[in-house]
Amino acid sequence: MKLNWRQGTFYATTIGMEGCWLYALLVLLNNQATDGRLSIFGLLLLYPLAFGLNGLLLWLGWHRVYRDIINVIACGIAILFIIKAQLFSGLALSDTTWLLALPRAIANIFYAFAPELLILVSSAVLWWLGRRLSRIRVSFVNSVSEFQFGLAILLIVFFIAPLLEVQLANSVLITLAFFLSALLGISIAHAQEGTSWLAGLHQGHWAGLLLVSISLILILGLLISSVITPDFLQLILTALKWVWGLIMKAVAFLISLLPEPSPPEPLPSEALPAPTPAEEPDWSKLFILPEAVRSGLRLGWTIMVLGLMLVFLWRVSSQIFGWLRRRLSTAGAEVEPLSGAFRADLLSLLTRLLSRLLGLRRLLHRQRKPELPEITSIRQIYRQLLHWAAGRGLPRAVFQTPNEYLYILEDALPESGEALRSVTQHYVSARYGLSSPSADELHQLKQSWHQVKQNRPKRPHSEAQP
Amino acid sequence: MARVTENPDVSQVKQTAAKLIDNIGKVIVGKSESIKLVLVALLCEGHLFIEDVPGIGKTMLAKATASSLDCSFKRIQFTPDLLPSDVTGIYYFNQKTSEFEFRPGPIMANIVLADEINRATPRTQSCLLECMQERQVTVDVTTMPLPRPFLVIATQNPVELEGTFPLPEAQLDRFLLKVRLGYPSEDEEEAILQRFQQENPLDKLTPVVEASELLELQKLCRQVYVEESVRHYIVAIAQATRDHQGIKLGASPRASLSLYLASQSLAALQGRNYVIPDDVKYLVIPVLSHRLVAKVESKLRGQSAESILEEIAFTTPVPVERAT
Repeated sequence: MKLNWRQGTFYATTIGMEGCWLYALLVLLNNQATDGRLSIFGLLLLYPLAFGLNGLLLWLGWHRVYRDIINVIACGIAILFIIKAQLFSGLALSDTTWLLALPRAIANIFYAFAPELLILVSSAVLWWLGRRLSRIRVSFVNSVSEFQFGLAILLIVFFIAPLLEVQLANSVLITLAFFLSALLGISIAHAQEGTSWLAGLHQGHWAGLLLVSISLILILGLLISSVITPDFLQLILTALKWVWGLIMKAVAFLISLLPEPSPPEPLPSEALPAPTPAEEPDWSKLFILPEAVRSGLRLGWTIMVLGLMLVFLWRVSSQIFGWLRRRLSTAGAEVEPLSGAFRADLLSLLTRLLSRLLGLRRLLHRQRKPELPEITSIRQIYRQLLHWAAGRGLPRAVFQTPNEYLYILEDALPESGEALRSVTQHYVSARYGLSSPSADELHQLKQSWHQVKQNRPKRPHSEAQP
Repeated sequence: MARVTENPDVSQVKQTAAKLIDNIGKVIVGKSESIKLVLVALLCEGHLFIEDVPGIGKTMLAKATASSLDCSFKRIQFTPDLLPSDVTGIYYFNQKTSEFEFRPGPIMANIVLADEINRATPRTQSCLLECMQERQVTVDVTTMPLPRPFLVIATQNPVELEGTFPLPEAQLDRFLLKVRLGYPSEDEEEAILQRFQQENPLDKLTPVVEASELLELQKLCRQVYVEESVRHYIVAIAQATRDHQGIKLGASPRASLSLYLASQSLAALQGRNYVIPDDVKYLVIPVLSHRLVAKVESKLRGQSAESILEEIAFTTPVPVERAT
């Protein structure tokens, strides 16, 4: 993966945004689940570690299956290492207590939430985020999505923390760092797509202009903060707390609909004769669920409700931003609001998830036809070409056929036109016609691919030459 | 290159298509894309629907195509007083032999030009349903097969709607392709004036392809290889038309089959013995647009079936490798 400065800055800003909300969330969970036993920075180290490892694997061009296997092994080792380092640092390596701690914690999940479980869940999420970051592309959509999601998480954490009496140190610093990263990342991504004013005539001075714009925003923020007093903020906070209280009451009511875990209290002995164990009716056991199942149901219900709230926040914020984008665009197109948009979006999301699951099942059951090694080689070369071009700002859109995508590549790499045509044509023949090339043709194809890699694509919008 | 599968040699299809294009090009100026679509329909033995404003050359194109083939050709001018028996044929009583004899209608030909099909009543239009789908005609209780190849080329004027009867969806679904010619460019129009100055070139047109040759080419086209992922792509497009919120009636399984067969023919026409996603994408609008019914809300927003299909074609993922 060739790292250019734009991609590097985008990575840095995404790490900044994700790091801020991850830190806040982990502090809250650490305080609630483990009484602050865990070291947050120790956990957060997994994030850049996963990013670096996956970046290396992508650069080496390893097959996806091997990358998945290495990720699983590395994540597993990292989780065990963290458990040993943070919870069992005094134990010797030969002592298997630390090794068995995680399986024990999983077995008792319905009875207690052990620190090992927090390490497991948070490590898996951090690893996945780091891996995802290694594949993410610089785009305006990605930056805004990161910002929206991070903002929603931060708001939730800042709201819940006082209710749970958790002190979030450096919350102002976290917020400032988050917004600074977001502004920088979004500006860079927007300029990269060549659609903002930063991509126009002023492109050569974008760094200075960017700093000026961020400074202006910060000054504006200071001015606003002088107007909005703590009392005003307190009023807003009280209103939000009241709304939150209503939501919690509703959730508590829904949870209370589940049957009580403990059986009903026995009647006083004077009222009824004490039943002998032999006379106790068996049918009463049918209506009382085991404690483990009740805990599971409660956990599932809470996760579902929280998930729905997160999705609701996500969609509302994206629609607000979408509306802002439309208002600011110069096209002047009017878009009518759709009633029931959230419900439609939610149903569409659930339908997509279900079709993905069904597609996954079909994929697992599908029997792959055996392929000739030459055809596999051509497909591998084309995959590398797609990845290489995407890393240079020329990603293939999902609706583009190889021939349509060839036009874009030829436009960006005119000197490699012949080589690109050769690669594309061979790929199309192999992929759709199952035509296997000869050894010479394959060798020539590899030469063409190497030739393409040597060249640098020209920028989508060339610098203005007055 | 070595071939893994036994894909047929379709160079003969490309050569024959070139001959046909040259021949038709002696009459029709320009319009190479429309002529290509006509050939796709010929190679699939699919029926063709040409809709455009008057005077564009719809009937001329149909006649030029028929004249280029060594096949029987009949023209039916659809009028409001046309009866189904005028199309299919009729049993009449021969007083000399005192027997009922069958007089075949103009439908009993290889190429049938149904001119201004929307002028006939729905009763007469519906007599074509069996002919077009099953390639047979039933008169009284007798079913007679139609000659092979059998092709209906229907024309329609979209401007004059008074006194016309729009074709039902069931009938529209039986047409493989809808072709629009469009106005010629300035140079093309000047060339038309020059060409038709002395005489009508259609009168001097001679056949270049025989019926038996056409049947062989049609069989060859059916053998063109379609990779599994391209099949999924075709089905995904058809499914997308059924799930789209702006469409009331999506593509039927007949439509996805038509797209499949047409893609094979187009690939063969271009000298390839396998179908690529570009072939499918090129044919999405000609094959599917006349089969879809857009919702009223979509029409009020200015969205037509073509624009919705364009949107679907530009959102349905094409089966290509994913970047590693």
